[in-house]
Parts: sequence; C-alpha cells; structure tokens
Amino acid sequence: MRSLVALRLVLHDRASTAGALLGVVAIVFLVGQQLSVFFGLLSFMSVLVDHSGADAWIMSRDTRNLDAGKLIPARYLDRLVGLPEVEWAEPILIGSNLFRTPDGSYETVRLVGSRRPRYAGGPWRFAAGDQHALLDLEAITVDQIDLPKLGRPAMADLTEIGDRRVRLAAITQGARGFQGTLVFGTLEKVREIIRTPAGQVSAIVVRFTPGTDREAALARLRVVLPYASVFRTEDLSWLTRQYYVTNTGIGGSFGFSTVIAVVIGVVIISLTMYTSVLGRNRDFAVMRALGGRRRDIAFVVCAETLIITGLGLFLGFVMLAGLLHFALDSAIPCYLPAPVPIVLAVGTLLVSLLASLFALRTALQAEPAQVFH
Amino acid sequence: MATLHSERLARDFSDGTSLRRVLFPTTLTLHPGELTVLSGPSGSGKTTLLSLLGLVLQPTEGRLRLDDRDLTDLDEADAATVRRQAFGFVFQQPMLIEGLSVRENILLAIGIQGERPSAAHQAKAEALLADLGLAGTGPLQPRLLSGGMKQRVSIARALVKDPAVLLCDEPTSALDAESGQAVMRILKRVALEERRVVVVVSHDARVFPYADRLLKIENGQIVADARERYLP
Repeated sequence: MRSLVALRLVLHDRASTAGALLGVVAIVFLVGQQLSVFFGLLSFMSVLVDHSGADAWIMSRDTRNLDAGKLIPARYLDRLVGLPEVEWAEPILIGSNLFRTPDGSYETVRLVGSRRPRYAGGPWRFAAGDQHALLDLEAITVDQIDLPKLGRPAMADLTEIGDRRVRLAAITQGARGFQGTLVFGTLEKVREIIRTPAGQVSAIVVRFTPGTDREAALARLRVVLPYASVFRTEDLSWLTRQYYVTNTGIGGSFGFSTVIAVVIGVVIISLTMYTSVLGRNRDFAVMRALGGRRRDIAFVVCAETLIITGLGLFLGFVMLAGLLHFALDSAIPCYLPAPVPIVLAVGTLLVSLLASLFALRTALQAEPAQVFH
Repeated sequence: MATLHSERLARDFSDGTSLRRVLFPTTLTLHPGELTVLSGPSGSGKTTLLSLLGLVLQPTEGRLRLDDRDLTDLDEADAATVRRQAFGFVFQQPMLIEGLSVRENILLAIGIQGERPSAAHQAKAEALLADLGLAGTGPLQPRLLSGGMKQRVSIARALVKDPAVLLCDEPTSALDAESGQAVMRILKRVALEERRVVVVVSHDARVFPYADRLLKIENGQIVADARERYLP
C-alpha cells in the first residue's frame, strides 16, 4: 500500500515529478555523454596497441607511452625470432608528415608502417578494400571518418605525403588516433615518407607461442634486450592512456564537467523533491495520525525517489543510446565500455537518494498533531 | 467494546522560556455507545485533550488506558500502531490525500504500515461508502466530491478498521448546516449502534443535541460534565 501511495503521489504531483525527472535525466545523460566522450578519447589514445594482436611490445628504453619512444635497432628482431617463446615478431614504424589534399592544402597525418604479409600493428577493419591492397608499394589507407578532412579522395587516387607519391588503396573503419588521422602503409613506404634511416624501427610487436608462460617470456625478452623497454600489450595501453589523461588535462577537464553535471542534477532533484514534500507536509501528518510510523513515511519518500529515478534512468539511457547511435559514424569520439552504464545507473540511484535526504528530513518532521487545528 | 480512561492527564507547552499549562489534570472515563461532545471557547484546551486521548501528543503527566492497557508510556512507533489499530480520526477538514482515489484514501488507514488491504477490507470500504450515501464514488478523485461528501469519506476512513474509539475534531465546522447534520447523525449512529467511544470536539451549538454527554472545558479544565440525551 505504501508503494502504491508513493506511485500515486508521483503521478499526481506532475510538476515536481517532472522537475526531479529532469534532474535524474540530466545526471544520466550529461554524465553518460561526458563518460562516453572520455572513454572514446581513451580508446583513441591506445588504438594501435589495442588492435595490434600482439602479446608484447618492444620499445626504446624508458619509454612512457606509445607516442614518445625513440627509434630502436631493427636487428633486435633477429634476437627475438630465434626464441622458442616467440611465435612471431614484427617491426612497426610510426611517424608524422603532411598529406596533400586534392585542393592543394595539407593535413597532418600519423603514419603507421607494418611489414608484409602479416601487417601486425597495421589496419584491422575496412570499409573498402582490404589488407592485400597494401601489397602495392605505394598503397596507403585512410579512415572513412577522415575522408572529408582529406578532401574526399577516391579509391586509387594518387596524392603525396611528405612529398612522396602514395595511392589510396583501401579505406579503414574505426582507425582513429588521438594524435590525428591514421594512415597505414607498408614499412618501406612509411620509412620513405618519414625519412627514417634504414635499420631503425619505432617498435617491435611480439606474439608468444601458444601455451607459453607470458610472465616468464616477458622476463626472457628483458634479458635478451637489456637496452629496450619490454611491455605487456595491456600495460603499454594503460601507460599510454594514463600519460595523456594525467598530462594533458583531459582527466581533470572531464572530471570537472562530470562533477558539474552531477551537482546540477543533485540540486534539481533536491529542490524539486523538497518542494514536493513541503507541499505534501499535511498529507504526511495525516498518514502519521492514521498510524503511520516515521519509517512508513521514509518508505513512501524513498519509494517516490526510486520510482522517479527508475523512470529517469530509462529516459536518460534511451537519450544516451540515441546519442551514441548518432555519433557512431561521426567525428565525435563516443564509446561506453560495458560496465560503465551499470556503474552510472547505480551511481545515479545513490545520488538521487542522497539528493532526497532534505526532502526526507522534512517529511519526517511531519507530526500527527499538525492535523488538529 | 473498549473504555477509554484518562487519569489526571495534563499537558504543558513551552514557548522557549517558560512552561505554560494548557490542560490541567483531567480524569475522564469515556464509555462505548456514548457520543461525547467536548465544547469550550478557543484556546480552552479541548483540542489538546483530544490529541492526548488520541495518542498524537504525549501527556506531561497522568495516565491513559484503553480498557486495561496502559497507553501512557508507549514509544512513538508503538503509539502509531495503537492509533492504527484502535483509533479513528475525523478532522476539521476532510484531509483526504489528493492523487489517491476515494477507495485508496479509505484503505490507507489499513495499509499505512505496509499491510496489503484484504478483499474483506475492500468490501468493507465499499459497504461503508454505500452506507454513507457515497456508493460508486470509490474510484473517484476526492477533488470531484463536495465538502460534505469528503467529510463522509473521512468518516469511512476512520471506521474501516473498526476502531474502538472515534475522535472527531470540529467535524462539522467546514460544512453547511445540512451536511453538518448528516455527519452528526452518522456519528451518533456509530456510537449507539456500533458501540464505539465517540468524542466530538465542537463549539457549534447545533452539535449539542446529538450528545449523550456534554463536557465543557475552560482554561484547561473541565468545568461541566452533563449526561443528558437531547435526541432519542
């Protein structure tokens, strides 16, 4: 009966219900949107590492993130391929240069060169063409998201990167880097474009033989390559993300805007619930006079909050899903890892209950004696 | 049916600096089957006495018993439970809760502590409505009813749990003369036929003819206690 009373009050007090709903939706949608952009950017930061298909990355000594490593000798490969723990090892070359667009202007692109035929660290999903397109020495790929920025080059179009001739041979999907447009090519072509001396690479990616003890294999690599950094792929991904989050202000910026969204939601929920309870003060006094205990009143107020929060979560997540769907193929970085919506829902529920504390306190002050004039 | 007995029941109020006694020690026995009218000028203490009798105020001194059960020192939750089980209230204003239907308002008196009203309770609510001339109003919102109808709904709310004691605070003061008379006839019947203790606080002289017992209170003290049947 108390739940029914709460539901009836929620349905009847439409103005305050709408206000509190707005607060819950504001928290879910604004925080969810902030988090989706944040996690979208996080996924950009380590996109190359996450899609490399490798178990370990070899980079220069004291490297702190993927984008801040010195070149390492390619001959390290020879030391690695002979190890029984190593199934394969492949070099990667990463650098930047200018892409000449059809109208003659230039765009900075991030070039990633990988070795035929495995193309480890190379492109992983295609909107047009496939990996075989990179068998052509001049071939490069660009991502479909970046096509407008690059002047909408067509497949097989010739252009220049760093004054070297390239041909658009395939279009990737979802290959977006934190430092700009990702262009994949062969190791030789990228070496030529970014003018790296022969015998040097940016990193070596390693896949261990199935059944290998990974920790033991990593330790072995560190012994074999004492002047290089040996990372587990997950560790390099984490280090790269952590570096950008803590050193670029992204973490603080998103944290601040998330807190602001929560505060706005809490204020809206607090005020509307408080006003609603004030307006219902006499009704709570009647309930007390009829035999309601304080805990019965608390039950009604909390049930009201839960009903509004449940409805707000539904509306907020529908809106968020709409945004994510809309942003799927846009330039807006949007990505929500599976546990985030659950954490967001639980967090919103707790925050809503917290915001209703003022209202609850007021409701509990209703005395049965108030109903007598 | 039960008897409500107060023994030297008194109440002080504090204004922050000094204590003021608003009800001096009052000893009363209220019998079932009797409609007692408590009258007196404003500020005389009649509502305070009614609040003490209904366990919505704690007495400063004295004791209150319902039959042999001492209700004086109950904690807040136990007092609420006793109110729910044994006391019915009719207020000056009907005080129905907007948003709940008429039927839900009545059943709230049963379910306020979380119980689900049984089919028997629901049938009783409908029967009370019919008995009070409100058949078919169960699904309606209270705002669609007139003042007199709302007050009758509040009587149904008070009676649905079969209370031993029915306490009414100026139940006719917000009603026109005809509705007020109808409400008093119902209360009279509830006292006589259902053998309940019925106490009505009122300074409306039109109520007095319905009283089996007329208590007059002035300056916090009962100054007259007349047992006289004004109506057959």
